[in-house]
Amino acid sequence: MIPFLAQVEAPEYNMWNAKPGTPQLWMAIAIAMVVGFAIMVAMLYAPTRMRKPIASAAIFLAGLFWVLVFLFPQPIDTQVKVEQRPPGFVQGISFWLADAIPVVGTFANILTAFILGLGVFSLVRIHLLRVTKKQRDWPFSVVLLVSIVAMAFFGYADWYSRLGPNAQKIEESWPLTAYGKDLLFDGMLQVMEAAMFSLIAFFILSAAYRAFRIRSVEATILLAAAMIAMLSLMGAVVVGWDGWIEQVTNKDPFLTNFTLSSVSGFIRDNLQTPGIRAIDFGIGLGALAMGLRLWLSLERAGAN
Amino acid sequence: MANTGVWDKLQTVDRRILYLLLIVFATVSLFFKVTVPTKPGEPVKDFYRSVMDIPEGKTVILQSDFTQSTRGESSGQMEALLRILMRKNVKFALLSVADPQAPLVALNVIRAINQERKAKGERTYVAWEDFVNLGYFPNAEGTANSMASNLTTAMAGRRENAPGKGPTDVFQSPVLQGIRAVQDVPAYINVTGSKTSNILIERLGKKVPFLAMVTGVMGPETLNYYASGQVKGVVIGLNGVAEIETLMDKGLKAENGHPAVAGFEGQINLGRGTGYYLALHACLTLMILAIVIGNVAMVVTRRKK
Repeated sequence: MIPFLAQVEAPEYNMWNAKPGTPQLWMAIAIAMVVGFAIMVAMLYAPTRMRKPIASAAIFLAGLFWVLVFLFPQPIDTQVKVEQRPPGFVQGISFWLADAIPVVGTFANILTAFILGLGVFSLVRIHLLRVTKKQRDWPFSVVLLVSIVAMAFFGYADWYSRLGPNAQKIEESWPLTAYGKDLLFDGMLQVMEAAMFSLIAFFILSAAYRAFRIRSVEATILLAAAMIAMLSLMGAVVVGWDGWIEQVTNKDPFLTNFTLSSVSGFIRDNLQTPGIRAIDFGIGLGALAMGLRLWLSLERAGAN
Repeated sequence: MANTGVWDKLQTVDRRILYLLLIVFATVSLFFKVTVPTKPGEPVKDFYRSVMDIPEGKTVILQSDFTQSTRGESSGQMEALLRILMRKNVKFALLSVADPQAPLVALNVIRAINQERKAKGERTYVAWEDFVNLGYFPNAEGTANSMASNLTTAMAGRRENAPGKGPTDVFQSPVLQGIRAVQDVPAYINVTGSKTSNILIERLGKKVPFLAMVTGVMGPETLNYYASGQVKGVVIGLNGVAEIETLMDKGLKAENGHPAVAGFEGQINLGRGTGYYLALHACLTLMILAIVIGNVAMVVTRRKK
């Protein structure tokens, strides 16, 4: 196992990689798919009482790897060649873990990519059903399906046309596939996404107007801090206020503490940042506890 | 009971009126070409110093994790950054982990800056020679861990179009020549609209000087890492874009033991940040006015009752 994972040099030909476009690579992909499919089928047909221990074992091994990476002594230089590495059990394990991280990272990338694929599959399945059964608002599902197919087609066609040695010329000739991708991606999707996100500004304004009321001492403090934060984002106000303070006080060391940038900086450095840090510590501890429960399969909701 | 009609109404202004006012304030202000003054903060100054310290011809890793949802802030940040990198002939390896759209969005910004340079008769940045697109990596944590451990293996199999050759291993490109570990690059820059900067800092922060360009929402959280020294400089939101564009235009005076840093005199420095800055002022003014009016109306109504 160790030699398979030892990839100090950029890999070319080994069990985990092959030259792009070669029959070896396609064969490896086919074998991996068959093996993966076989494991999936085996899991489907495994007795119900066996599924949980198998899943728990896989989760434990995956978690154990990262626990070891975090806790085990790390090599100072992972770029050293295999034959020049120091001998010894601890060093051996340490280098093995370091070498395995990119391989495990690639697995993680592949698994996450499958989640994206799963999302697309699920979306297509639900909306195809809605269209075939003519359920409520089915025309919107047609729009979604047509959009998915059109975007995928022009996206892949444009990507494929840029793979050859003449890819640079596409910038000059701009073929139909490039136009199609531009229209759909830049002309529609991107603009709609920007428009959707900008709607938040309307809700923020409406919510700020209704919520920021000085009904209590705490609310007054919050409002004052928010006002200072908002004013400090306005360069013209900061330049004007700070300039006026410096002029009136003749740059007195104490009184210049009342410039807008100093006051907002004080709030940011002494109130906001430590507050967020405390929240982050709390979140971290919670994530650690949840991680332990998942790693040791103690989280019943996820296991069942 | 006292007559509180007007003040009552000012407490409960219809949201549609507020929406209309926001549309008017935001759009009208975009038509005015006014350069609003700004006073760059320390995080932006440190960012500018760090980017200007990158030696000419070196390669940085540029992780672009934004899409058009944060265009108002992130596009301006990316444009300002690319203008600096291209003027200093700094090569970059581009990658994304946050969203499958992110690499295309970043390439569009590169194309726009290239067109700007072409119009001025300057050299444009060419894929393979000046930058490589490493593409999209779906798992942020796994990718950051892999890069921290072994950059060549983490990026194995990634290809870019070499002129006359077609897709070729990115490590054969002039951009990644001699780079085998993340420690070999002088800076790792993340332009992001989400918390990918945190994921990177936690895994790569000790290995490479890290710089971040984040949205206003992510700013306060990122400042934690700036305060601890794990991030060398931060540009936050649209305000940060206006600030870095000002620094590019006017340079940075020597202060607090730091030497002076020159700007880019006579070049296009004021871009999207300065262009949108008046709109930001107008919208914030509207919000402050709305809050003040709501509170004054509430106090007056209470007193009258």
